[in-house]
Amino acid sequence: MPLWFARGLRRGVVTTRYPARPDGSAVALPTPPAFRPLLLTREIVDRMIAQCPGTALSRAADTLVFDVGSCTACGRCARVAPHAVTPSGEFELAATTRSALIKMVPILGERR
Amino acid sequence: MTPGPDEATTAERLRAQIAAQFGRSLHIRTLDTGSCAVCEQEIRLLSAPHYDLHRLGFFFTPAPRHADLLLVAGPMVRAFEVAARKAYEAMPGPKVVVATGACALGGVYQADPFMHGEVEAVLPVDVWIPGCPPSPLALLHGLSVAVGRLAEKVPGLAFVADENGGGA
Repeated sequence: MPLWFARGLRRGVVTTRYPARPDGSAVALPTPPAFRPLLLTREIVDRMIAQCPGTALSRAADTLVFDVGSCTACGRCARVAPHAVTPSGEFELAATTRSALIKMVPILGERR
Repeated sequence: MTPGPDEATTAERLRAQIAAQFGRSLHIRTLDTGSCAVCEQEIRLLSAPHYDLHRLGFFFTPAPRHADLLLVAGPMVRAFEVAARKAYEAMPGPKVVVATGACALGGVYQADPFMHGEVEAVLPVDVWIPGCPPSPLALLHGLSVAVGRLAEKVPGLAFVADENGGGA
């Protein structure tokens, strides 16, 4: 029996803690978008909402409501406005409340 | 409402109890409630050497009777509702339900005569793991959050980028 296996059995948990180190393969993962509020206008946001295949994006007056839980990271909103949308790079998104996944992004582009 | 001293002690005791019961080893039963099977693909990859979830004390079990955690993928088609409820009721307590993927979180399908559109409509969900599909790394993080080994990151993220780019 390998030593690490015996140690793991005795302590009951792990042979390494997680995460032992950042995983190099994570950079290639598609991730939900991050928005640039100063470059968002209501018109751009409405076009992004029209392109969203699910229910991840919606608008309440001058706020873009982004439901991270509904986002499939398909990148269609980024194709509508490449200057205003960028991949967030976040993929460890587990939440213990559903409301923690709903993000309010202010639309500030109208003021320019 | 701020918790009083009694509630704080009770919460602390419950946390310790959960850590004692779930912190060491946890058995997972997966449930496909009409998903496209890509979530299952990623869940299967957790057993592969690169991710190796057994090193963290997580194990898959074929029977809900032996499971502590129900890992549910898919938009909960109505045809699966009875089976999902039975699987949940068969699990011994304390039990945790984890909704996995955008379908399970209600992002892809609307409620209609064929499906509920989200897992929450049928089972009490404790942890939500977004992603389409969630990568094995995201699943490992979600399982660690479910047993309280890692803190959730998403409440601190705004998904707002600065002018020059950069992350959330």
